[in-house]
Amino acid sequence: MYTLGIDVGSASSKVVILEDGEKVVASSVFQVGTGSSGPERALKEAFEKSGLGYEDMAKIVATGYGRYSFAKADKQISEISCHAKGIFHLIPTARTIIDIGGQDAKAIRLDSRGMVNQFFMNDKCAAGTGRFLEVMARVLEIDIKEMAEYDARATEVVNVSSTCTVFAESEVISHLSNNIPKENIIAGIHASVASKACGLAYRTGLEDDIVMGGGVAQNAGVVRAISRELRRPVIVAPHPQITGALGAALFAYDEAKKH
Amino acid sequence: MSETEGMNAKQKLGYYTQKFYDDACAAHDKGEFVCWSSSIAPSEVFTTMGIHIVYPENHAAAVGAKHGALEILELAERKGYTMDNCSYSRINLAYMELLVEEKKTGKTPEALAKLDELKIPRIPLPDIIVLCNNICEVLLKWYENIAVSLNVPIVIIDVPFVHHPGKIPQRSIDYVEAQFKRSIKQVEDLCGRPFDYDKFIKVQEQTQRSIAAWDKAMGMASVVPSPLNGFDIFNFMALIVCARSEYAAEDTFTTLANELEEKAAAGIDAFKGGEKTRIAWEGIAVWPYLSHTYKALKALGMNMVGSTYPSAWSIHYEPGDLKAMSAGYIGCYYNTSLDNRVDVVSSVMENTKCTGILYHNNRSCKNMAVMNVEMEEMISKRTNTPFASFDGDQTDPRNFSEAQYDTRIEALSETMEQNIAAKQNA
Amino acid sequence: MSKVDTIIAELDAISKNPKKAMADFKAKTGKGAVGVLPIYAPEELVYAAGYLPMGIWGATKKQILKATTFLPAFTCSIMQSIMELELQGTYDDLAAIVISSPCDTLKCFAQKWKGKSPVIQFVHSQNRDMEASNTFMVEEYKYVRESLENTLGVKITDDAINAAIDVYNENRAVMRMFTDVAALYPQVITPTKRHAVIKARQFMDKAEHTKKVREIIAGLMSEPVVPFTGKKIVLTGIQAEPDELLKIFEEFGIAVVADDLAQESRQFRTDVPAGNDPLYRLAKQWQNVTACALAIDRDKPRGKFIVNLAKEYGADAVIVAMMKFCDPEEYDYPILLEDFEKVGLRNLKIEIDQQSESFEQARTRIQSFVEML
Repeated sequence: MYTLGIDVGSASSKVVILEDGEKVVASSVFQVGTGSSGPERALKEAFEKSGLGYEDMAKIVATGYGRYSFAKADKQISEISCHAKGIFHLIPTARTIIDIGGQDAKAIRLDSRGMVNQFFMNDKCAAGTGRFLEVMARVLEIDIKEMAEYDARATEVVNVSSTCTVFAESEVISHLSNNIPKENIIAGIHASVASKACGLAYRTGLEDDIVMGGGVAQNAGVVRAISRELRRPVIVAPHPQITGALGAALFAYDEAKKH
Repeated sequence: MSETEGMNAKQKLGYYTQKFYDDACAAHDKGEFVCWSSSIAPSEVFTTMGIHIVYPENHAAAVGAKHGALEILELAERKGYTMDNCSYSRINLAYMELLVEEKKTGKTPEALAKLDELKIPRIPLPDIIVLCNNICEVLLKWYENIAVSLNVPIVIIDVPFVHHPGKIPQRSIDYVEAQFKRSIKQVEDLCGRPFDYDKFIKVQEQTQRSIAAWDKAMGMASVVPSPLNGFDIFNFMALIVCARSEYAAEDTFTTLANELEEKAAAGIDAFKGGEKTRIAWEGIAVWPYLSHTYKALKALGMNMVGSTYPSAWSIHYEPGDLKAMSAGYIGCYYNTSLDNRVDVVSSVMENTKCTGILYHNNRSCKNMAVMNVEMEEMISKRTNTPFASFDGDQTDPRNFSEAQYDTRIEALSETMEQNIAAKQNA
Repeated sequence: MSKVDTIIAELDAISKNPKKAMADFKAKTGKGAVGVLPIYAPEELVYAAGYLPMGIWGATKKQILKATTFLPAFTCSIMQSIMELELQGTYDDLAAIVISSPCDTLKCFAQKWKGKSPVIQFVHSQNRDMEASNTFMVEEYKYVRESLENTLGVKITDDAINAAIDVYNENRAVMRMFTDVAALYPQVITPTKRHAVIKARQFMDKAEHTKKVREIIAGLMSEPVVPFTGKKIVLTGIQAEPDELLKIFEEFGIAVVADDLAQESRQFRTDVPAGNDPLYRLAKQWQNVTACALAIDRDKPRGKFIVNLAKEYGADAVIVAMMKFCDPEEYDYPILLEDFEKVGLRNLKIEIDQQSESFEQARTRIQSFVEML
């Protein structure tokens, strides 16, 4: 039995096709989100990779910011529940989830059954989200994917505001004009994002294992900064960007088994 | 007092500030009591009973000035406080939690150890707390939280906001007088002995002497060029806050006044001849950036000589007259109408011959920010001076941008110098 | 549509068109209206003058354009809306504006009213557990009464105030009955409808409002009670609006079985006690207000109060509707959390921002919360 999960975020669209609630037969990620062609293109790619179509899907669950705009979904479930479900499936020892997306950040507390116990979100402010990193990457004129490498070469963590993206931008420009090496500025930017995420994470009580999901988890620099701030090991979920879509596909499987 | 013989004002400030912290920390071992108090609360009652008074706002300012604020603010946010809440209160409430944890576990929490390393003085947990909401209403909520968290008695001196300029309403005076009488009962209950009314008179007399010395020292800011550098007001403020009813304030400010008079007589001014313009600074200091904010002004020859802080503690009353004392605490600048604030600031600017005014739009303080736009316009019209404002925070280092501050004061400086030149050419 | 729904629709229409409510009142009585800002005010004095007290609690989905000139960005959301409307002249037909000063923002706000109506600012005492506090409040209310008399050109007699208190106490009792009965019929009295019935109080002669609510209660009680399969919650905060937000509650099967909202139950859970001197009666009412962020109490009983509400009404959880930038509510929150955690009461915080036009973020949080319960 095949089920499909689609995560329509504000910045990207992710699809997972799951077989019998266990095996991922195909997944795809497109860097455009809700209100665009992103969802359709992600679906098309996933179908092509798997050789399947809509008719093969027993159930479809949509999640993410744009979940209600996806007409073909059988059900819509929040991304908190979906990320929790997806990550718990991959890492059953996960009890604290830190998820930093394009435009928000969340910390989730799970119980031993993988159920969401509490959650904390920042969804009103660019600081501490993927958007912050995008803005800073632009100021530094480097590719956002290179930021982790630069961070690995840093000799010092320079101070960058974690409150206001505009203030932080002017600080970065000021550091550049003072000839502070980009590596150290990037370490500061990562620390700034980490500090925001950790602020949410502390509220969960921080039970091990601490697992990171979401697009920004692909940035090893941020992961290191979070681990450093919390003084705890942080596991990065495999394929962190699709954990939400995976959770949605798992929920779809639960739905399909019911009928 | 022989301990301070030969010390200059700055040395006395350092000596006494440390002494008050040390004495407070030693209080419990001596079987004495400690009170946490807001900055313009009636110290007279507590000093009369020998209760050591600690001032959380002063302490938080020290945390900010010594760059220890960031981590402790984050601790408060973890408890559920937000960045919108006054940073003094966030620092104090988080610090309180650390002290409680240390007491409970016998181990010093790491965050507290870090503050110790930064040489931020320790304060003991209180046996009683007192607030007077003449500076703001947030104190009521902040201290409500301390009272319920520590389970200690709370003394409230609720001073009704004076919403019209002119005389303070009799009903407010009567209500506050009743609260003073009640506070006396509360300290009697705490200490288990009757209130010494004779000593109370003596303490009130000392308070008036301390305030007179403060007035005299601060009054030197009106000399042109000023021997008093405005940031001295921020620095010396600590003692009028925490020693108002003690000889320490009288001693230090008398010395300061003498030093300033000598300097003025000798023609020595704070900027050593570099004073070009004189400004009033409306609001509190940006403690984590004291150095930058001062140096940037100095570099432009802008001396901050005008402030409403001196008058805020200038609470005059006839010792023994409880009604007059009540009126004094009610009529504090921050507890009055827009019209009165405009009057007070304009008078300060006129007395200290200010050529402009700088407003600190304090993220932490609605009472000092919500009426700023109207004050700017009304004061500007009344004094015929330019103004500028900048965004800052008293202790949260994340709410200030050096670049923004620099740009704004440069613009103000340019306008003021233009005005002066125009006057001279006229 | 059922009788109950018809009346609720009527009440909702009144709330959505305050100007018409004012005009209708004037046509009927020849007298105008007096604006009353949050949270607590001696409305009975206005009523005794024969004028219509109209609650001014801002607006919904209000874009702030002019008010940014005069207010810092971190001013409470309600005040920003009120100032915007004030600058647009929306309140200029009001004969007076009564403004209390329980927090720094309101206290300063009253000093800078940009509309044309005269402002009567007053203060509540906060050291309430002493007789001197009542004495002060009597004098302060005397000042409000004199100000109203001078501004409106009307004499306000003790008898008139006592009669007004009777009308208000009756309305308070009926409202408490309504919220109790509404909790039994969540399928009929959805969160949106519940709010509509309560909000209409702000724009109506309380005696008229009481009549309508009595009819609603009668209509409800004639129907059988149907067991509710959704989630029951207690709402706490300053206000829970707008309808778009309340519809999200309905979307996820949430019923509001009780509330501790400043705009709702806090307005009618404390009666004015009996007595002869009406101003003293009003002062005693203020002394009796409890479990509210704006009424100082060293024991901070609000958390336990909400826990009891949840128990009494069988609620599954609490939703804290946090008014953006509201100092008093923000300081209460960490203590509420402790009280909730002590008994394991599930809770969610959502932000109420009168300037919000999109509710997707609230929808995500509410959906996640319901999925969690």
